[in-house]
Amino acid sequence: MMLRLPAARWIVLLAPPALVLVLWWFLSAASTSVFFPPLSKVLDALVRDLMNGVLPAAALFSLGNLFAGLVIATAVGIGFGLLIGETERLRLSLEPLIHFARSIPQVALVPLVVGAFGLGAGPKIATIALAAVWPILLNTIDGVRGVDPSIRRVSRAYRIPALLHFRRVVLPAAMPQIAAGIRVALPIGVTVMVVSELFAANQGLGYYILHSASKFMLPETWAGALLVGLIGYALALLFIVVERRALGWYFRSGAK
Amino acid sequence: MTQDDEALLRVTGLTMTYGTGEKANRIIAGLDLAVRAGEFVSIVGPSGVGKTTLLRCLSGLLTPTAGEIRIVDELVTGPHPDIAVVFQDYSRSLMPWMTTLDNVAFPLQGRGVGRTERAAAAATYLEAVGLKGQGAKYPWEMSGGMQQRVAIARALAYQARILLMDEPFASVDAQTRFDLEDLVIDLHANLGVTILLVTHDIDEALYLADRVVVIAEKPATVVDVIETGFGAQRDQVATKADPRFSEARARILNRLRVQ
Amino acid sequence: MGGGAPVVSGLGKGLGIALQAGIAAVLLLLAWQLAHGIGAFPAAVPSPIDVGRAAGDLLGSSRFWTAVGQTLSVALIGWAIAAVIGVLLGMLIGTIPLLEHASSVLVEFGRSFPMVAILPIVILIMGANARMEIFLVALSCFWPVLVQTIYGVRRLDPAVVDTVQVFRIPTLLRVRRVLLPAAMPFISTGLRVASSIAILVAIGIEILSQTPGIGRQITLAQETAHWDVAFAYLFFAGLLGWAIAGGLSAAESRALRWNRRREG
Repeated sequence: MMLRLPAARWIVLLAPPALVLVLWWFLSAASTSVFFPPLSKVLDALVRDLMNGVLPAAALFSLGNLFAGLVIATAVGIGFGLLIGETERLRLSLEPLIHFARSIPQVALVPLVVGAFGLGAGPKIATIALAAVWPILLNTIDGVRGVDPSIRRVSRAYRIPALLHFRRVVLPAAMPQIAAGIRVALPIGVTVMVVSELFAANQGLGYYILHSASKFMLPETWAGALLVGLIGYALALLFIVVERRALGWYFRSGAK
Repeated sequence: MTQDDEALLRVTGLTMTYGTGEKANRIIAGLDLAVRAGEFVSIVGPSGVGKTTLLRCLSGLLTPTAGEIRIVDELVTGPHPDIAVVFQDYSRSLMPWMTTLDNVAFPLQGRGVGRTERAAAAATYLEAVGLKGQGAKYPWEMSGGMQQRVAIARALAYQARILLMDEPFASVDAQTRFDLEDLVIDLHANLGVTILLVTHDIDEALYLADRVVVIAEKPATVVDVIETGFGAQRDQVATKADPRFSEARARILNRLRVQ
Repeated sequence: MGGGAPVVSGLGKGLGIALQAGIAAVLLLLAWQLAHGIGAFPAAVPSPIDVGRAAGDLLGSSRFWTAVGQTLSVALIGWAIAAVIGVLLGMLIGTIPLLEHASSVLVEFGRSFPMVAILPIVILIMGANARMEIFLVALSCFWPVLVQTIYGVRRLDPAVVDTVQVFRIPTLLRVRRVLLPAAMPFISTGLRVASSIAILVAIGIEILSQTPGIGRQITLAQETAHWDVAFAYLFFAGLLGWAIAGGLSAAESRALRWNRRREG
């Protein structure tokens, strides 16, 4: 839907961000402040470290952790969500606990997990997964519960086997809600990723930001922050595209 | 068409076209209409003939492509203080976050009327529509018929000279509809407000109005005008059994069928 | 979501559910204790009994209450600032379609930007203090409030728009009595989301920058290997988030009774 905008709409859409960049460029051009280096220097640092492989390596580490954490969170969240959502008794008993677990500020786990298990990728993946699993789990439960009873009756009337029913009926019907959960989990995962690397790391984007700041290399720090922002934005957009594709039936049916 | 010089509301050559060029879609073409002060006029026409467009033009929510709308001598160019509207969709035009009393008093608040004064006025109009002492309730705590009474009270509280009603009883059950119709007849007789009611229901148009304006064709225009002549007193059974009633109804039906 | 189990057949059923949930919690704690007893967990994981004891000790210590107060006040101030600015700006953007379209890329970028990424810069500029913490909390909370407000304002019912126009309601009155209440269900969702972000970001900053508060206490406990204390803080942090979310939900369903009724 976004690609079919007329030219004028594109201009209106893209002019403000361009304006922000232009303003940033000119307002910072003559800056002598250590903290606000000229945008040209920030971009120099960004391009240089992208070309010499420093930033790509850092991004690969960070995004690898993020991806692994999210995959684990999604698998666990959907798996348990289907189970809990389908079992009334289980849901009633566990829901308060899940709501409580969700309320724990996820970043508070960082010093415990990373502090106890060290600098490697494993603890970071674990904290990301542990933080991102709750919205996916809760939304899957909600999605499963929201499946139209008449659709369930169809399954029963045609004596669809349990596994097939799960895979072809409950899961697709709950998918829009599950996707919404993943969309919530995504920025949480990014935030925890950054925090875990700012807390303790020897590689990754958070480490790049922290390390350059501690050496007062502010153009690099800004470049790192800018890259993190762009990655966060790109992930959000990518998710929308994937969601629109995968859930085409849902958006086209006008259910939303 | 009565070209009465003392018309309170006068519409001349009203034309409304959506879009331009090849895609242009003319909804209303050269529609003339005059309503005298104190008169009750029904505009009746089949569904989809452009009644809503006409009403939106009259209420100042749409600017017509051509033609003009005047109240006495003043040209209507937007929502006008002498026009109050009762919308078809009462359940959405009433604000669910306000009590009934606040809903009725809201237009007065917009006019800068003080708190106690507007509350008193709102209570009066609520009583006039048969909802005495119901001001503290919320609209969603009431039945559809009661909600439409609140919408009528709100329009009355605005103290405009002209009341526009857009299919006001289209979404209530038959009995409630009869009650509301009689309420509107009483209000018209007692308060002397000028009413212009748009409906697709021929019986309703005839039963309520002094004069029925029939619109039809595409684009819409006035095809007939009928003076009902039933007087101020009407009765759901007796009036509708009146030979003049069935005669007028047959005439309108034929008019619409020919189109 | 939220609000716990529906009350179907009165108090009896509610009690039954609470009992079930209680049993589930006890079973979970027992499993934890058992796993700890046979050494299934790494040394850093304390037993639930130790955590319980540490939690009890914390409740009696002034350091704990000071930390809670520090985190709460910073989160609250940042949240409130974000709420005011987010709602005002959101109403402005939401009412002007062109502005809404023009700002969409910037808004989308802003909301997907993990604000902690600029923490090292902000610390360099403002120092590691409460002011800096409030700034970053506000900056993080601002986006969900803004986005939800824009969304809520845009969803204004066309019938209400017509009504307001016909009765020629002046701008300020329209904003106060129509736009704001109509968008309130969405705004309050934004405020609720922002409240958990406020606690999250506040504790995150305290962990990373050692500004005083719950986050710093957790790091201190971790550094001295007082795992039971760290877990107890974690527990209370969760309790805090849970209480705030619950309180806001309750306030919301009271204030927005009209909205729930209409949907029901």
